Amino acid sequence: MYLYSLTLQKATGIVCAINGNFSGGKSQEIVVARGKILDLLRPDDSGKIQTVLSVEIFGAVRSLAQFRLTGAQKDYIVVGSDSGRIVILEFNKEKNVFDKIHQETFGKSGCRRIVPGQYLAIDPKGRAVMIGACEKQKLVYVLNRDTAARLTISSPLEAHKSHTITYSICGVDCGFDNPIFAAIELDYSEADQDSTGQAASEAQKHLTFYELDLGLNHVSRKWSEAVDNGANMLVTVPGGGDGPSGVLVCAENFVIYKNQGHPDVRAVIPRRADLPAERGVLIVSAATHKQKSMFFFLLQTEYGDIFKATLEHDGEHVQELRIKYFDTIPVTSSMCVLKSGFLFAASEFGNHALYQFQAIGEEADVEASSATLMETEEGFQPVFFQPRSLKNLVRIDQVESLMPIMDMKVENLFEEETPQIFTLCGRGPRSSLRILRPGLAISEMAVSQLPGVPSAVWTVKKNLIDEFDAYIVVSFANATLVLSIGETVEEVSDSGFLDTTPSLAVSLIGDDSLMQVHPSGIRHIREDGRINEWRTPGKRTIVKVGSNRLQVVIALSGGELIYFEVDMTGQLMEVEKHEMSGDVACLDIAPVPEGRQRSRFLAVGSYDNTIRILSLDPDDCMQILSVQSVSAAPESLLFLEVQASIGGEDGADHPASLFLNAGLSNGVLFRTVVDMVTGQLSDSRSRFLGLKAPKLFSIVIRGRRAMLCLSSRPWLGYIHQGHFLLTPLSYEALEYAASFSSDQCAEGVVAVAGDALRVFTIERLGETFNETAIPLRYTPRKFVFHKKKSLIIIESDQGAFTAEEREAGKKEFFEAAGMGENGNNNGEQMENGGDDEDKNDPLSDEQYGYPKAESDKWVSCIRVLDPKTSNTTCLLELQDNEAAYSVCTVNFREKEYGTLLAVGTAKGLQFWPRRSLASGFIHIYRFVDDGRALELLHKTQVEGVPLALCQFQGRLLAGIGPVLRLYDLGKKRLLRKCENKLFPNTIVSVQTYRDRIYVGDIQESFHYCKYRRDENQLYVFADDSVPRWVTAAHHIDFDTMAGADKFGNVYFVRLPQDVSDEIEEDPTGGKIKWEQGKLNGAPNKVEEIVQFHVGDVVTCLQKASLIPGGGDSVIYGTVMGSLGALLPFTSRDDVDFFSHLEMHLRQEYPPLCGRDHMAYRSAYFPVKDVIDGDLCEQFPTLPMDMQRKIADELDRTPAEILKKLEEVRNKII
Amino acid sequence: MSVYGGDSWAREAQHRKRRVGDLAVEGLDASSYKKLSSGKFACLVCPRTPVLDSALVLAMHCKGSCHRVALLRLEERELKKKDEINKRIAFSDCTVNTSTSTSNLNRIKSKPLIEQVRKAASEVLAKGNTREDVHNDGCSGKICGILRGKETSHVSESFSFAAKEAAEEVVVQPQLSIRERRERELNFTSAGWKRDCNGRWFKDENVEFDSDEEDPNICLG
Repeated sequence: MYLYSLTLQKATGIVCAINGNFSGGKSQEIVVARGKILDLLRPDDSGKIQTVLSVEIFGAVRSLAQFRLTGAQKDYIVVGSDSGRIVILEFNKEKNVFDKIHQETFGKSGCRRIVPGQYLAIDPKGRAVMIGACEKQKLVYVLNRDTAARLTISSPLEAHKSHTITYSICGVDCGFDNPIFAAIELDYSEADQDSTGQAASEAQKHLTFYELDLGLNHVSRKWSEAVDNGANMLVTVPGGGDGPSGVLVCAENFVIYKNQGHPDVRAVIPRRADLPAERGVLIVSAATHKQKSMFFFLLQTEYGDIFKATLEHDGEHVQELRIKYFDTIPVTSSMCVLKSGFLFAASEFGNHALYQFQAIGEEADVEASSATLMETEEGFQPVFFQPRSLKNLVRIDQVESLMPIMDMKVENLFEEETPQIFTLCGRGPRSSLRILRPGLAISEMAVSQLPGVPSAVWTVKKNLIDEFDAYIVVSFANATLVLSIGETVEEVSDSGFLDTTPSLAVSLIGDDSLMQVHPSGIRHIREDGRINEWRTPGKRTIVKVGSNRLQVVIALSGGELIYFEVDMTGQLMEVEKHEMSGDVACLDIAPVPEGRQRSRFLAVGSYDNTIRILSLDPDDCMQILSVQSVSAAPESLLFLEVQASIGGEDGADHPASLFLNAGLSNGVLFRTVVDMVTGQLSDSRSRFLGLKAPKLFSIVIRGRRAMLCLSSRPWLGYIHQGHFLLTPLSYEALEYAASFSSDQCAEGVVAVAGDALRVFTIERLGETFNETAIPLRYTPRKFVFHKKKSLIIIESDQGAFTAEEREAGKKEFFEAAGMGENGNNNGEQMENGGDDEDKNDPLSDEQYGYPKAESDKWVSCIRVLDPKTSNTTCLLELQDNEAAYSVCTVNFREKEYGTLLAVGTAKGLQFWPRRSLASGFIHIYRFVDDGRALELLHKTQVEGVPLALCQFQGRLLAGIGPVLRLYDLGKKRLLRKCENKLFPNTIVSVQTYRDRIYVGDIQESFHYCKYRRDENQLYVFADDSVPRWVTAAHHIDFDTMAGADKFGNVYFVRLPQDVSDEIEEDPTGGKIKWEQGKLNGAPNKVEEIVQFHVGDVVTCLQKASLIPGGGDSVIYGTVMGSLGALLPFTSRDDVDFFSHLEMHLRQEYPPLCGRDHMAYRSAYFPVKDVIDGDLCEQFPTLPMDMQRKIADELDRTPAEILKKLEEVRNKII
Repeated sequence: MSVYGGDSWAREAQHRKRRVGDLAVEGLDASSYKKLSSGKFACLVCPRTPVLDSALVLAMHCKGSCHRVALLRLEERELKKKDEINKRIAFSDCTVNTSTSTSNLNRIKSKPLIEQVRKAASEVLAKGNTREDVHNDGCSGKICGILRGKETSHVSESFSFAAKEAAEEVVVQPQLSIRERRERELNFTSAGWKRDCNGRWFKDENVEFDSDEEDPNICLG
C-alpha cells in the first residue's frame, strides 16, 4: 500500500511569535511558528489579520527571534529549529518569500537535550545572537555587515557549561558595550553525585551573565548569582541611555529586577483573590513596549492576567519596581506589542486575538510595588486583586484555531452533499465542538425578497472608470427590474432599460454606454440617454449572448451567429454572420487583452457535445480554429484569463494563460487551456461539481478574476499562492450570480436563489474548511454519535469548581461588589458565550478562565448535544470528584434496554507525586426522551481508569489499566465475565471486528486478540515488535490497523496473510492457546506496512471520504490543530510519478530551515511507502526554470505536473 | 587475589576448574561422550553429535530434554535390538517352515487386530452419540466443537465417520436440537460456567453472576 499524505488544514496553533518590520518600511508584521509552519501575518487597515505568507519548513520550529542591525530599517528573523542549524531569514517583499541569508550547522539534528535550538537570545543592538540548548550547550554567533552592507555571521563561540540545565536566556541591553547574555541555570553536578538526595533538594538556580568580548572574540562567564528557585523567565530591560539595563527575573509569585552590581528589587505578582493558597503565580509570556521617553513590560500570568511592570529609575539605579493589573485575556504563548497600537495575543489554546490599546494602564488599579513589599513571618505579604472586564484593551479581530484537536469524527449527520468533520477542540473554558465543512466561508451582507422568481441578475457600471457598480438588473420570466445602487438599493425606471421583457444579458459597452440584450433585440443605451435598438430579423429570437467590453456575439434560434463590434464612435456595428450546424447551447467571448482592440476568440458550445473556438479576427473572421468534443452538452462557457506572475502576492511563477471553462449538462466542469496565438485547446481537466449543470460567472476576488460555478452548490475557482483552487462555498444553491461592488462592499457577489436577492462576500481565501463552533464547558475528551442524530460528549477538567460552586462563588462576588445579580444564573449562560462577547456578563469564563481549585479536584460532565440546533438536550455533571475518560454506546445481548451508554470515569485521579486514584467506575446510562436525555442505570467500581470501552458481541469490553475485561450487564452492576491481564502497560484503545479485538497499549503498540466463547478466554495471538506510544488508533481492515504515536508518527501495521489464514483456519484454536512467544510476547508479529512522520502529535484517525463518491482516505487531526489525509494510490504509475517528483523536489528545493526532508519524515522510523504531498505541492512555488527542469526530468511539462497535483488533491477533497 | 599478579590464583583457579570438570563428568556414562583432541567434548548420544566446549557444558547438555529424549530413543533402540537378537536366536532353533508360518500368522494377525480395534472403537463412539441424541444426557458436553460465524453447515470435527453416517440417517430435527443445545452451552460457557469431570456445571470463581441467572444444571439437565 502506498499513501499520499496531504495536509488539508494547516496547523492553527502558535508555538511562538515575534513582531517587527520584516518587509522594511513602516508596516508592522508578525512572524508566527506553528510547529512546522512559518507564517508572516500583517494586520490590515481595517484591523483584520491577513496571512501574507505561509511556508511549510519540514522541521520543528522551537524558537524565533528578530534582530536589526544598527541603522538598518529592516528586521531579520533567526530561527531555532530541530535541524541542528541556525538559520537567518529575510522576508523578500517583491517575491513574497523568505530568503535564507545564512544557515550555519552546529550539531546533530532532532530535538535533543544538548543540541542548541531551544532558546534564542539577541543582543538588543543586533550585534550577536545566542542559541542555547536545554542543557549544557550555548553558542554565540557574532553578526556584522560586510563592505556591501550584507549581513555576515561569524563562526560560533562556545559558552558551554556541563551539568547545567538552562531555563531561559535573554540579551542584556548594555548599549554599545560588549554584548551580554543572561541565563537562568541550574547546576546539577552535585545532585547527580549525591544518592541521598540532599544535594538535589539544595540545588540552587543561578542567574549568569555571559559576556561576548568583541575585541578578543571570546565568550566568558562574567557574573553569576543565586536567584529564586522558582525563576522561569527573563525579560530584557532597556539600557544604554534608554533605561537602567539589567534583566527582570520572573519567578513564582515574584518579579525581581537584577543587574550586576545592583541590589535586587523585588515585587510580588498580585494574586487573584479566589486563588487557592497552594497555587503559585507564574509569568508565562512577556512583551516589552519601548518608546523614546518611556518603556514598560506586559507580563501575563498562567491564569491570563496581564500586568504592566514599570521601573522607577534614576539613570542606572532602579528605585522601584511596580506591577499593576492591566487586563485579563486568555493565556498566550507569546504576546506581540505592535508599534501601531495593537497587541497580538497568540493563544496557548483556542482562537488567537488582535487587541487594540485603548489606554496604557495609567489609571489607578491594584498595584504591587517593591517599595511597599512587606515581609512577615510567613513570607512576603501578598497583594490581591479581582479580575475585571477589559479596560485598556479592546478585541478587534480573532483568528480561529482548532488547537488542540482532542477527538474527531467524520460523519454526514446533516445529510449534505459532503460529510461534516466534527472536532472537539480547545481546553477548559475555551473548549468547543467545531463542525467543519469543506468549503469557503462566506459572509452574507443582505437578503431581500423580490416580487417574483428571478431568472438572472447582472450588475453594471455607468462608466468604465467608475469604481462601483451603478445598477443591479434582475430579469424575470417576462419582465426586467432595475435597481440602482447608492446609499440604499432601490428600484428606478429612468435607466433606459426595457422593463417589459426578460433580459438575456446586460453589460457596459464601450466606455460609457449600456447594453441590454432581450429575446427580440439589442438595446444600446448611450451615455446621453439616446437609445439605439437593433431588432432580430423575422421572427427569430435571440437565445444566447456572449459579450465583452467591445464585442458582442448573439446566437439566434436555429443556430445563426451574428457578431457586432463597437466602432470608433461608440456605435454597435454588425460585422459578420455565421451559420452553425445546429442550435447554440452557449457561447462566450474572451476578455479583451490589455492594449488590444478586440479579443480573438469566441467559444461556442453546441448540443452535439462539442465546443468550437471561432476566430474574431478581421482576417479570418468566424473561422473555426479548433473543436473539442466533450462528454455531455455544454451549458455554460467562460474564458478565464490568468495574468502572468513572478512571485509577488500569489507567491508563484507562471506565465499568462487563458483557460476555457465549460459547465456540462452532466454536472462536470471541463477546463482546458487555450493557446493564446493559435486557439488550439490542450491540457483538459474535468471535475464533477454536482448534479446540476454548472453555470459559470466571472467575479473579482482580491483584485483578480475568479470563477463562480453554480451547480447543486456554489463553487469558486481562483488562484491562491500559485495553485488554481476550486472549492465549494458553504452557502445554499444559487441560480444566477454576478460580481458586485459598492462602497459598503468592495468585492461582493450578488446572486438570486428562489425569490430572494442575496449579496455576500467570500472571506478567508485559501482555507479548506469553514467552521461552526459550539462552546463546551470543560476540556472535551471523547465523543460518540447516537443514532446518527445526536452527539454524546464527555468533558473533564482538573483543578476547577463545578458549575454550581462557580455560580455560588460568582454570586457571592457580585454581592460583595454591590453589582447585584444581573441575570446570568440560568443554565444556558453557563456555556460561556462562545463568539459573541456577552456584554452583560462581566466575567465570562471564556475570557477569564475558571476560578482555580486545588489540583486534586476534578470536574466533569456528560453532554447530549443536538448538532442541528446546537442545543444541549441533557447535561449531567459528575459528582464526587469523578472525571470521565472514555465513552461508547453498547447494545447488550438479550437485554431489554436497547442501546445504552457506557462512560468510564476515574475518581480522585492525581498525577503527582505519583499517579494514583481512589477508584475507577463504569457508568451505564439509558437513553430516555427519544435519545435526548440520559438516565443512570448503575455504576460499577473498577480498580483502574477505564481508558477504553468498546462493544463486543453484545457485551462491553473495557481496558482498565493493563487488564482487558469483558463485562455483561447485570441488574445492579456490570458482571465481570472474562479478562486477560497480560497487557504490558495500559490499554488506551480497543477496537473490534468480527471475533477479533485490536488493543492499543499506551507504550507497546497494538495487540491482536481473539475471544473464545467455548473456553470463555481472551487470547493475544499477535503483537507489534516496535514499542509505540499509541495516541490514536483506527481499524482499517481485518488484518490492518492504523495508529499514531506520541512522537508524531503515523503507521499502519498488518498481520501477514499466511499468519492470518493460519489463525482463522485453526479449527480447535489449540494453537493460539498453547503457542508461546519469546520474552512474554505474542507468538506472531504484525508487520509495519506504512510509516510516516507527521511532525505533530496525531490525536485521532478516521477512515472517511470527504467527497461524494470518492475513495476512502485516512483523515487525522493533530494537537496543533491541523487536519490531514492519507490517500491510498490506486495505480503504480502514480506512485512512480510522485515518488520521482518528491525526489527531485527534495534535491532541488531543500526545506527552508535546514532540516533534510527525508531525515525529517524519517525522524523516528524510516519513512515507508508514503509520499509527502505537502512537498509535492510546493512545486508551483518554484522558479519557472526549476519547474521546467524538474518536469523535463520527469518527461512531462510543468502544466502536466500541476494537473496531476490538482487531480490527486481533488480525489481527497 | 589479584588478577594481574599472584601466580597462586591462576594455578588454583585452573585446578578448581579441572576439578569441577571432573565432578561434572563423573556421573556420566563414559560411552555417551568422547573427549576430542582439542579438549572439547562430543556427545555421542544425540544424533547430531554436538561438540561442547567444556565438561560443564557437557553436563548441562546431558541434563537437557533434547539429550534425554535422544538417550531414551537410544535405549529403546538398544532394547529392540536385544529383543530382535533374542528372537532370532530363538527362531534359529526351530525348523524353517514353522518359522515362516508363524511369521505369516503374525503378519496376518497384526493387521486385522488394528482394524478390529478401530471398528470396536467406532462402534462404541457411535453408540455413545446415538444415545446422547435420544437421551440428552450429560455426556454430550464431551463433544466439543466451536461455533464459528462462517461455518453454517456446522459439523463438529470430533464426530467420527461412523457417527456422521448415523447422524445422516436420523431425521434433521435432533441435529437441530444439537445445534441449539450447543449454542446454549456455549452461551453458558461464555457467561462463565464451567463443567467438572462429571459433566456438571459450576460457576467459575473469577466470574461474576447475576442473582437470577439461569442454572445450566437445571435448564440443560
